[in-house]
Amino acid sequence: MTIQMFEKPLGMRDDFPFIAKKKAELRTSGTNIIQQAGYDLLQTPTLEYYETIGKISAIADNALFKLLDSQGETLVLRPDMTSPIARVAASKLLKEKMPVRLGYYSNVFRAQKREGGRPAEFEQMGVELIGDDSLYADAEVIILAGTILKNLNIESSRFVIGHTQLLQLILEDFGLSQEQIEQVRSAFVSKNSVGFETLAKQLPIEESRMESFIGLISTTTVEEWKQWVNPHNSKQSSLFEEMKKLKKILDRSGLSEAVTYDLSFNSHMTYYTGVVFEVYAAGSGFPLGNGGRYDGLMKQFGLEVGATGFGLRVDRLLEIMSAVSEQQDHTLILFDEQNEDHAFDEAQKLRENGTRVTLQFGPAVKATDEFSKHFSKVLRLEGAN
Amino acid sequence: MDALTIAMPKGRIFEEAYELLVKAGYDLPKELDDSRKLIVEAPNENIRFILSKPMDVPAYVEHGVADIGIAGKDVMLEHDRDVYELLDLGISRCYIATAGMPDTQMNKVSPRVATKYPKVASQYYRGKGEQVEIIELNGSIELAPMIGLADRIVDIVSTGKTLKENGLVEYEKIVDITSRLIANPVSYRLKQKRITDLVERLRKQAVL
Repeated sequence: MTIQMFEKPLGMRDDFPFIAKKKAELRTSGTNIIQQAGYDLLQTPTLEYYETIGKISAIADNALFKLLDSQGETLVLRPDMTSPIARVAASKLLKEKMPVRLGYYSNVFRAQKREGGRPAEFEQMGVELIGDDSLYADAEVIILAGTILKNLNIESSRFVIGHTQLLQLILEDFGLSQEQIEQVRSAFVSKNSVGFETLAKQLPIEESRMESFIGLISTTTVEEWKQWVNPHNSKQSSLFEEMKKLKKILDRSGLSEAVTYDLSFNSHMTYYTGVVFEVYAAGSGFPLGNGGRYDGLMKQFGLEVGATGFGLRVDRLLEIMSAVSEQQDHTLILFDEQNEDHAFDEAQKLRENGTRVTLQFGPAVKATDEFSKHFSKVLRLEGAN
Repeated sequence: MDALTIAMPKGRIFEEAYELLVKAGYDLPKELDDSRKLIVEAPNENIRFILSKPMDVPAYVEHGVADIGIAGKDVMLEHDRDVYELLDLGISRCYIATAGMPDTQMNKVSPRVATKYPKVASQYYRGKGEQVEIIELNGSIELAPMIGLADRIVDIVSTGKTLKENGLVEYEKIVDITSRLIANPVSYRLKQKRITDLVERLRKQAVL
């Protein structure tokens, strides 16, 4: 295959100026909020070892960009931010401060095997709160995600919250083996109601509890969850109490209308161990972001600490953010040799006053009229005047 | 009431599904006079139908340009798309099977299978522990064994008439197929009330 000059690898995109500008605004607004909430920003390397981050990230193997270093070790372009941050926290930062609050705005890479429509490199913005296993940490990150969206004027956002551990315990109570639980969970991840109902018939579930079991897939409020919580199981009861508390905190933060509590909601990422959530908004057919408690991931780094966080997809936020902000004033100064000094002074004066100025040597422009069209104001400093 | 966009496969499935919606109490236009229209509005219900090739329905739904869609399970098996599968409508019942010329064996050296469903076919033979070479065709699959392009075909069988007329016989049944109601995950969450209501009304009409 001959590659043409204009082509880019599958899933790679150029950010043209108007997108780059929007992105910069989004980044400033988002990272400001993250820092205001007490999080420190952090940058990790683009390349990581396949052995560690590549495997721990839980991104499908064929979605990883792999390459070899000079020692023959396999490297990956980081496919997510959570695992590198967990690595840094586990190996260093947690020894200095615990809990630690870290935020990021970084690009991640996931190879696309199919058609277009999905980027292979995209930016994520998010936080990780490591070393706190309380439900206040869960509430904090959900509220923070909500605040970021609100600040971007994304009004219609909706959170869906589940709890992987409570779901696991409830499924165990139905007398299912771990393998059967995995099958059920995977039907839940893709909300495959048809597959779930077919599966249910093959599972050793008492006839009298079948209706209740099928009902697991369609809850929308925490109160509804109660019917599956075994009051004699202290772990289940305490997790359920925590969920009620979480709801209370979120309600108080003005999110009451924006949250669906779906007991069957969980993630294909197996390292989640508690509250998990995803967030959506009108205008994008894909989730804007997701997050949850991932104590299981920390365990892989040899630490028994609680951790929770979220990541928002910048590309999808851009898709739904209200139309480009007001066209800013942009002045063009065309000058010639005679007016050189004057032009430089003028540009500096205008820039100091906050005007955006392009300073252009006039004779270097071939089509002056065409070029001038890109500016809101044109100042010609040419000839003797 | 949230506006709902429904992706429908053109042709027979569309008619069956449309009828199902009418039976479920949806106030849809009686006459669909111009069959070449790609977008059909049902203003009384605030529903818009988009008509596409059956194979393409999951793509419209995955990208969220349609909130829900009606797609054959065969298409869903072949194209792994991130959509929610909410209901088995029980319409357009058929199955995927292997077929070939009567009394023939698979070639021992390079067994070849022609199909419109390369993924389904490859998974099926791998599951049986056989390595086969898949040849992807877009239609008239029955031709392949007749003219010696492949030993077997993997294709949809509804009545078996086409196979018979071409002198082919069915060997193994792979999977049963019906049409499913699918939803975009985001639409499902944002328009949950309306979509769940639709599912419940259709569930009562589903031909099971």
